Amino acid sequence: MAETLRRVLEAGPAAGPAGDGAAGPPLLLLGAPRSAQTSLLFAAALEAAGEGRGPVLFLTRRPLQSMPLNTPAARDPWRLQKVRFQYPSSVPELLQLLASVHEAPGPAPSLLLLDGLEEYLTEDSRPQEAAYLAALLLDTADYFSHRQGARGSCGLVVALETLKEADGDAPHLTLLQRYFPAQCWLQSDALGGQQHCLRASLELGKLSPRTEWSVTFLPNGEMKITSWPTQASKPSPDQKGSSAGRQSLTLVCDNLSGRQFPLD
Amino acid sequence: MAVTLPEVVEELLREMASAVRDGARIPDEHLSSLKFVFGSSAIQALDLVDRESVTLISSPSGRRVYQVIGSSGKTYTCLASCHYCSCPAFAFSVLRKGDSLLCKHLLAIYLSQVMRNCQQLSVSDKQLTDLLLMEKTQEA
Repeated sequence: MAETLRRVLEAGPAAGPAGDGAAGPPLLLLGAPRSAQTSLLFAAALEAAGEGRGPVLFLTRRPLQSMPLNTPAARDPWRLQKVRFQYPSSVPELLQLLASVHEAPGPAPSLLLLDGLEEYLTEDSRPQEAAYLAALLLDTADYFSHRQGARGSCGLVVALETLKEADGDAPHLTLLQRYFPAQCWLQSDALGGQQHCLRASLELGKLSPRTEWSVTFLPNGEMKITSWPTQASKPSPDQKGSSAGRQSLTLVCDNLSGRQFPLD
Repeated sequence: MAVTLPEVVEELLREMASAVRDGARIPDEHLSSLKFVFGSSAIQALDLVDRESVTLISSPSGRRVYQVIGSSGKTYTCLASCHYCSCPAFAFSVLRKGDSLLCKHLLAIYLSQVMRNCQQLSVSDKQLTDLLLMEKTQEA
């Protein structure tokens, strides 16, 4: 999914071609708030749905109460019907779903998304349980890639809300990072003035260069994305070994906790 | 496996595979390198390969999973796409302490591919699901 998210973020100034179907490394979408993560996942789902390489599988514990976005893509019924939502309510249900995807006929998804990993993994989860869930997510995306064949590979993006009190901390984070080489951090940024801003950082791998974007969620539900000006960028506040060499992206999301984003 | 190993290990496995392809004995220096990188796990993994303990299980869907019979006779499940083994050593030395790259079962999978003695087994799609789920009940 790293590639799909990158295309979502780059869609503003210069949307590149969809590429050769390569999905990029598995990506962990980290930070707060959850509603911004949901919106970005949803944008990625719509982006992938528009590529015509198969459906998108969107896993989340609870049904969305409303549309996370109000963009032209989100109003496109053809794209929307390509996004399949499933709502595993517990870890056993999630594992059952992932372990049995090969029993279902039909075209293989081009993108696998999981929103709210923190609702499945808690501090009480055993490390091996967390590792198995992460590994099975990778294995499922890998199987979908196998089914995609020459059309490309299946991306994987998992959103995990980190603890607000201890910025950047979440149960089993180090363990999860072992399985997800690409990470995108979302964090609050004061630059939005009266609007609530989020700053995010994307790194596709430990040695990858940084790229920066600014994303604004407008009150009408639209999402505006611009490149983060390189000269204006400042070093990200340090986040427990995760900030070195990252890109930054700012989300202005004054309405994220409001009516349109009821997930919080 | 899609997960990348350090380049030096990849290179070592490639050279060993090349020797096997040519019908030659795996050079002692490669075995020494293997032991240098993986310590005692190398010998134990080679022993597992010798005993034909590694099985690649696949279903008509094309999904695959490995099973490795450990030295104690217990069967461990290893995913085919990334590094995961249900054995206690993987949970402790690889996941918790982080001082090992692989457990001996995962290394045995790599070596069984190099030495071409990985066993093959076909099961139904439903059976493959059960194998993947049975794993989570194995206690560390």
